[in-house]
Parts: sequence; structure tokens; C-alpha cells
Amino acid sequence: MKNKKGILLWLFLVALLLVLALLCGAPSEEESVQEAMRDAVLHDVNSISLFGIKEVNPGLVSAMCVSLVLLIGAALIRILVIPRFSLVPGKLQILLEELVGMFDRMARESSPHRNRALGLYIFAAGTYIFSSTLFELFGFQAITTEGVSVALPAPLSDVNAAIAMGCMSYLFIVFGGVVQNGITGIGRALKEFSLPISMSFRLFGALLSGLLVTELVYFYIQLSFVLPVIVGVMFTLLHALIQSYVLTMLTALYYGEVTEPKKG
Amino acid sequence: MNIPLNIDWQQILLHMMNFAILAGGLYFLLYKPVKDFMEKRAAYYQELSDTAKKRISEADELKAQYEEQITKAREEIEKEKAEAIKENEELARQQIADAKKQAERIIAAARAEAERDNEKALHDSQEAMKELVAAATEKLLMKNDNAAIDMFLNSVERRGKDAEQG
Repeated sequence: MKNKKGILLWLFLVALLLVLALLCGAPSEEESVQEAMRDAVLHDVNSISLFGIKEVNPGLVSAMCVSLVLLIGAALIRILVIPRFSLVPGKLQILLEELVGMFDRMARESSPHRNRALGLYIFAAGTYIFSSTLFELFGFQAITTEGVSVALPAPLSDVNAAIAMGCMSYLFIVFGGVVQNGITGIGRALKEFSLPISMSFRLFGALLSGLLVTELVYFYIQLSFVLPVIVGVMFTLLHALIQSYVLTMLTALYYGEVTEPKKG
Repeated sequence: MNIPLNIDWQQILLHMMNFAILAGGLYFLLYKPVKDFMEKRAAYYQELSDTAKKRISEADELKAQYEEQITKAREEIEKEKAEAIKENEELARQQIADAKKQAERIIAAARAEAERDNEKALHDSQEAMKELVAAATEKLLMKNDNAAIDMFLNSVERRGKDAEQG
């Protein structure tokens, strides 16, 4: 019964977001950019057609690719690995249990009163940020609407993806506050009104800085030996770890704060 | 509408939708099954732990009971031992007293018998002496030795007189 309710809520949310996305429409006017760096920041020169429906930033295509890969991977694990779980775990089982257990522990420690949904949210967010940041290392190519081949960037280096992530985290915190404490919960969440902006731009800034440095390094042929390995490790692997941890920890902390039961 | 940084609300919502699908999929395919398994395993080990604790507690109770029983048994044994020693000592005392009485009785009987034997022997010897004297007297008489008889009679008479005077 509880599962059915959750599935219905999830489907409703997906449908609502799709409808809103279609209704919202594209911006009427695009900025003109001249420099390569500005294109890396704004993603408004190279657009990719999304199933012929709309021209979107490469970051959105990257995000969808990451989601698809993650869901296929999760489905394979669900079918092939999880049924073979044993009381004495193997290496892969330990890895999966540690992954789930780490976010679950973080949720329980940060929000002792209400943490079931929080565990799921920070697990999904952490996995998404980590995987999508590593995604740019593979350099998958896509064809733009102008017929140019571009390497798909990390989704969160697109400001739209970062804003989506920051706003979703904030909305999730507000939702938790409302469910737990009603009006008081909304008050507590609104008190942190700068949170969506700080979360969004922290992600965007961190990922973008990595992207810009990488672009600069790749721009010059002299710097394209050995150095990309170090730059790749520094700005991709470390960002993947740090940004996953920062966003999930902040979400868990604020969620725990707004869902704390009223005193007295 | 010209929004700075090329922010596109439609793409933001598409990103949100993408993440919502991913979160739902990850929940059903990965998070929930793994968490369920971990909870089941934790419950299994918790049950094992509870059972072990319960058994240890029961064993402790049994041990305490047995120790109490052993203590009681030891006390009872000590008590019975003391009683047995006391009874034995009493019995020994009684037996010694009986033995002494019996010994006294035997000694008394032996003395009485010895006296009787002594008296009988004395009587028998006196009788034998009398018979010997009578026989000797008869022999002397048979020989008609008057002188001797006179001498004897005189001597007896004299002794009788001495005895009367003394």
C-alpha cells in the first residue's frame, strides 16, 4: 500500500515536470557569444537536438546519458548481483552495501527524526553528481545542430543542471519541513532562502572551474602531454567526490534542522 | 525573455524530471533491495544475539541454582556428618561402659568361683586329711600296740590339758 502510494507520487512528479518543461517553452532570444570560454560557460552556441523536439544544451544530453547508464547498471545489479547476496559478503556486495549504508547513516545521523526519504534523496543525488562528474572523463561525442562534433561535458557544468539540483534539494528540504512540522517547517526552511542559490552556484562554480581549466589545458598542444592526467584527476575525480559529499551533507544537515520536532 | 547566464527554465525542469526518474529507478532497483537485505541481515544477527543472551542468562540462572543446591547439600552433609560423629561417640561411650560393666561382672564371677573352688579344695583337703588320720588310727589300732596307743592317748591328753591351762 505504502509502495503503491510512493510509485504514484513518483509518476505524478515525473509527469508534472515533463508537462511543465513542455509548457515553459524555449527562451525567445539567445545571447550571442564570441569566445570559446564563454561558450563553455553558457553552452549557447553548441546545441543538440533532443529527439527532434527541442534544441538543448549538451549538458542535458549528458545528464540523460548518465541517468540511462546508471539505471541500466542498477537494473543489471538488481537482476544479477542482489539475488546472490549472502551473509558473508563478497567484494561487490561490500561495495554496494557500503554505498547504500554510507548515505543511510548520513541521513540517520543528520536527521534522527525523519530520514527514510532523505536517505533515498541523498543516495540518488550523491550517485548522480559523482557519476555525472566522472562522465566528462570519457569524452563521448555528440553532433550539434550545426553538424559539429562536441565532447559531452559534465551535466553539472551546465548552469541549468546546477540550478535544477540546487532547487530540487531546497524543495526537498521544504517538503520535509512541511510534512514534519507544518507551518513551522516552512518557516524554518524559508529562513534559509539563500540555500538554493548557494547550492546551485556552488555546484556550478566548482564544476565549471574544472571544465575551464581542462579546456585551457587542452587548448594548447604543448600542455596536452601528462598534464591532462593530473588535471583530470584534480578537477574531475576530486570534484566528483567533494561535490557529492558537500551537496548531500548540506541537504542532510538542513533537512535534519527543519524536520526537528517542535520543542514543548 | 532574456535571462542571464543562458538560464532556461524548460531545461531546468527537464533536468529535474531526469533526476526524478533516476532517483525513482535507483530507489527500486538498488537502494531499497540493498537496504532491505541489510536490515534483514541485521535482524537475523540481532535475533542470534538475543537468543545467545537469553541462553547465557538461562545458563547463569541454572548455575546459580546449582550452586545454591550444592551449597545446601554441603551444609546438609556437614550437619549429617557432625550428627554421625556425635552418634558414634555416644555409641562408643555406651559400648565402653557396657564393656566395663561386663568386665566387672566377669571379674566378680571369676572371684566368686575362685573362692568357691578354694573353699571346696580346702574342704576336700580337710576331708582327705580326716580320712588319712582315720585310716592311720585304724591301722595302729589293728596292730594292738597298746604302748603306742597309750603314748598317743597320753600325749593327746597332755596337749588337751596344756590347751586348757594356756
